[in-house]
Amino acid sequence: MSSETGDVPVAETEYQHDDDGGPDPEKHHGHGRGGMGEEVKRKEDKRFITGRGNYVDDIKKPGMLHCEIVRSPHAHARIENIDTSRAMDVDGVVAVLTAEDLAAHDLATMPTLMDDTQDVLVNEKVKFQSQEVAAVIATDRYVAKDGAEKVEVDYDVLDPVVTARDALEADAPLIRDELEDQEDNHIFDWDVGDKEATDKVFDEADVTVSEQMEYQRLHPAPIETCGCVADWDPGKDKITVHLTSQAPHAHRTLFSMVSGIPEHKVRIVSPDIGGGFGNKVPIYPGYVVAAAASVVLEQPVKWMEERSENIQTTGFARDYDMTGELAATEDGIIKGVRTDVLANHGAYNAVAQPSKFPAGFFNIFTGSYDIEAAYGSLTAAFTNTAPGGVAYRCSFRVTEAVYLIERMVKVLAQELDMDPAEIRRKNFIQKEQFPYQSPTGWNYDSGDYEKALDKALEMADYDHYREEQARRIDEDADKLIGIGISSFTEVVGAGPGKQCDIAGIEMFDSADIRVNPTGNAVLRVGVQTQGQGHETTFAQIVAEELGMDVDNITVEHGDTDTDPYGLGTYGSRSTPVAGAATAVAARKVRDKAKSIAANELEAAEEDIEWDRESGEFHVAGAPDRSITITEIAASAYMNHPGAEEPGLEAVNYYDPPEMTYPFGSYIVIVEIDRETGEVDFEKFVAVDDCGNRINPMVIEGQIHGGLAQGIGTAMMEHVTYDENGNCTGGDFMNYLLPTANEIPNFETGYTVTPSPHHPIGAKGVGESPTVGSPPAIVNAVVDAMAHAGITHVEMPMTPDRVWESLNEAGLALDPRQNVNFEFEGGASEEPADD
Amino acid sequence: MKAARFEHHEPTSVSKAVSLLESLDEPTILSGGQSLIPMLRFRLARPDTVVDINGIDELDYLHEEDGYLKIGALARHADVAESDVIAERYGSFADTAPLVADPQIRNRGTIVGSVAQADPKGDWGSVLIAHDGEVVATGPDGERTIPIDELFLLPYDTSLGESELITEARVPVPIEREGSAYHKLKRKTGDYAMAGVAARLIFDEDGRIENAGIGMTAVDITNARASDAEELLEGSRPSADLFGEAGELAAEQSNPESDEHGDASYKERMVEVLTQRALGDAAERAGVIKRRVSP
Repeated sequence: MSSETGDVPVAETEYQHDDDGGPDPEKHHGHGRGGMGEEVKRKEDKRFITGRGNYVDDIKKPGMLHCEIVRSPHAHARIENIDTSRAMDVDGVVAVLTAEDLAAHDLATMPTLMDDTQDVLVNEKVKFQSQEVAAVIATDRYVAKDGAEKVEVDYDVLDPVVTARDALEADAPLIRDELEDQEDNHIFDWDVGDKEATDKVFDEADVTVSEQMEYQRLHPAPIETCGCVADWDPGKDKITVHLTSQAPHAHRTLFSMVSGIPEHKVRIVSPDIGGGFGNKVPIYPGYVVAAAASVVLEQPVKWMEERSENIQTTGFARDYDMTGELAATEDGIIKGVRTDVLANHGAYNAVAQPSKFPAGFFNIFTGSYDIEAAYGSLTAAFTNTAPGGVAYRCSFRVTEAVYLIERMVKVLAQELDMDPAEIRRKNFIQKEQFPYQSPTGWNYDSGDYEKALDKALEMADYDHYREEQARRIDEDADKLIGIGISSFTEVVGAGPGKQCDIAGIEMFDSADIRVNPTGNAVLRVGVQTQGQGHETTFAQIVAEELGMDVDNITVEHGDTDTDPYGLGTYGSRSTPVAGAATAVAARKVRDKAKSIAANELEAAEEDIEWDRESGEFHVAGAPDRSITITEIAASAYMNHPGAEEPGLEAVNYYDPPEMTYPFGSYIVIVEIDRETGEVDFEKFVAVDDCGNRINPMVIEGQIHGGLAQGIGTAMMEHVTYDENGNCTGGDFMNYLLPTANEIPNFETGYTVTPSPHHPIGAKGVGESPTVGSPPAIVNAVVDAMAHAGITHVEMPMTPDRVWESLNEAGLALDPRQNVNFEFEGGASEEPADD
Repeated sequence: MKAARFEHHEPTSVSKAVSLLESLDEPTILSGGQSLIPMLRFRLARPDTVVDINGIDELDYLHEEDGYLKIGALARHADVAESDVIAERYGSFADTAPLVADPQIRNRGTIVGSVAQADPKGDWGSVLIAHDGEVVATGPDGERTIPIDELFLLPYDTSLGESELITEARVPVPIEREGSAYHKLKRKTGDYAMAGVAARLIFDEDGRIENAGIGMTAVDITNARASDAEELLEGSRPSADLFGEAGELAAEQSNPESDEHGDASYKERMVEVLTQRALGDAAERAGVIKRRVSP
């Protein structure tokens, strides 16, 4: 691993950027070969926009059967009997599986990513609505569904408990009665920081503020639902599973562990993936059922979720009920932060987070601020709701942490009657404090928070909108203006082996570069694109490091038989980890290329120089005596130096020394209709800093998508349950996602603060907008009503919730209060004025 | 979509459609599929037979004739949104069409289908109420007209006979000093209304309201008429206060339910707001008043 061998320790500086505002493509990126910083069009888009993508549901195999899962209509019920006979009578139904059948193959349960044990098909007791009860295998998907309707299940319905708060009541029904020693619905308590020191700071503070806020249950809702095609080959004793997987290699290991099939006899293929956002990190019962059915029936079996199955049963996100507190001086210096969280984990502890901390990276709740004392505590509970806790477009609970601190800073600013930009500026970790050790144990790599905020304030025309806001308040206008800021810090790139693993496997990632005799190359990586653009950006890293043209590099991923082992794509880890591996592997190739160049140019190796600008090797002091990578590639196979092996390739497994810490400042300006509570976005500014930038256009696309999801989070999305545990937000009629019509024009900007420990100085970026924008949006809505005493509005900020706040603050307006009518054409002598 | 098995019939004339409806056992009519397709997908609808009327060209029209705006059963929401006649003279229709569902569904869904579905959250029922519209039902015994107030019985239930098909919806062509509008509150494109109000006003030469029509969406078990508000308005001169009182009466007459998208009391308040807005627009479009928003 590179960090240990010491061959790649620091960011190369050649393509670092101007200090005052980012890269100058002309100045730094004029190679024209599609290297770092160039806006290369995405290579993968041709197949997507011409309809030639190949997703799991596109895969058809001869003799393929279809699986439909029978799900419980109840949230909490004991199964008294399952009668499959009528289903078996349906023409085309091949098999009906229940827990009993799976038990015969030792597949009745599966481990979750948090070492809990989940029923693949319900064994005795249903623990959440739509839990998997039986599976019907049939010749086509319609028949499979017909069969599923005929499976008769007798339920003894039990009282459910839906919220974490209720679940922890003494008289709450016990959900996990199958677990020994489990006497209540409590899962774990966790805390971080120095409680005593923090309490002392609060006791002695001039000012303290507190706010309770809920980060509601969300669903990642990728456009492609989860599914697989499992194909057992009895001739080779090998199973191939085409899987909607963000982490094919880790899933191969887990599949092998669950099924008992040796790992070299398991092949996982992630073909094109239609969005993941964390939803495709866990293993789901449907995968196990399809694989088991394929082994037993010796035929390929496809299982593909319907939309509502996806929303109702597969990995939800968030569901944190949080209290935040800040202690500060009168002039706004934050001295302490305290938080207490109640976490709803659903019926199983199946949180998908690979860190060694029970609450993931929630402990980064001190955010972008240099705070003396911090303490956080959290209690997790089982409830009769679907299990989950996936990192929906974020790094393992950092979204919740950022929401908490960015909301609380706004609450404090209001309490002190200070400008929220000013209070941030006063408390930022300063540029020269990096690397910065946070009070909860994080080691921030680099940052310049004030610069990003200043840039955002300028882009947003902040002072103008503050004046406009005051004018509207003065004139009692029918629409209010609110300005929200979020100056967030992300923590991405899981991760150093000391902090992160999956089933014990440390979270390195890998790259394998093979240069062909004709001078083009194939890069294989252990991460898995789901829309991030890896096939383009990773090729750009190779193009930059080897002086090749980006069009001559193909990036492959997603096939565990051919790609190097990696831990997958989530938590914005691909560039920080696999991107680093790619740069390191490319430099290894470059080192070998240098010795070939020396041989070809008949010079000593130490006299050979590589010119990043031209992408060529030449003899020092004699630029005319040069050789291209294409010529070197040919020589590697046709005239290799005696001291070297033939061929030109390299592999790197990269264990990152630290996480990377991208950051940014977002400013959102909203207009609120005092009659209806509707919120309109007037302006949306996003300034991001992800260190050195590989492809600005891809970054821009990532930011746009993430901001849209942030708007969904703040305004619309919520997986809701009624008191009986019925999921009432389980389809797109009730789980609302924004469309292009609800998305304002985004104004994006950037600063560049390279990561000092990453080989190309880059940080992850894909999740910053989802993490950073919800508090900016909520802060804006609250800000519009702050003058009337409103300090918080819960997400999603539906019109009725906003109107409730308006009403509570005395700001709600009736149309007749601000409308006058004038008669036209003298039809009446009386003015209809009020 | 994994619908249960059904037989699909595609008649090419109204008479063939009617005879199919007569001969088949509990057939379901498919026009734009805006509601039926999701119901088939969830298997909430499990018809044995579907009579798909999309091939009946004679039902594809939208025009003024004999003093009515006539909307054939295959006129799509997008047709209304793109029509010059609508844009010129039918404010409420022009307001409604671009607010129905999303662009894809508007290309397919029909006005008549939406009315026949009798979903209280449908928008067109309210517009027809405000305009005192009617539908033409064609069955084995020929055509009959059903006034809109007699069509909706319960959610998804109409007074349509078993083998009848709504072939047309129609409203009187607007006269001088008439204006109409529709206001809808929804959380996103493609979402149903949290509340919606359609209003139509006709003024006499003195600037008094001669006739008022107000239809409400998503706040009762069917699209509903705000008859108390209409009564208050008729014979009065428009004013902000009058419209405010009309809004209050409409809200009182509404019966919304709380759901994931909003609390009942909020929806009632929104009926009050939307009624005022729709009346203001309608009066302005009638050319009687000009609205001034302050400050």
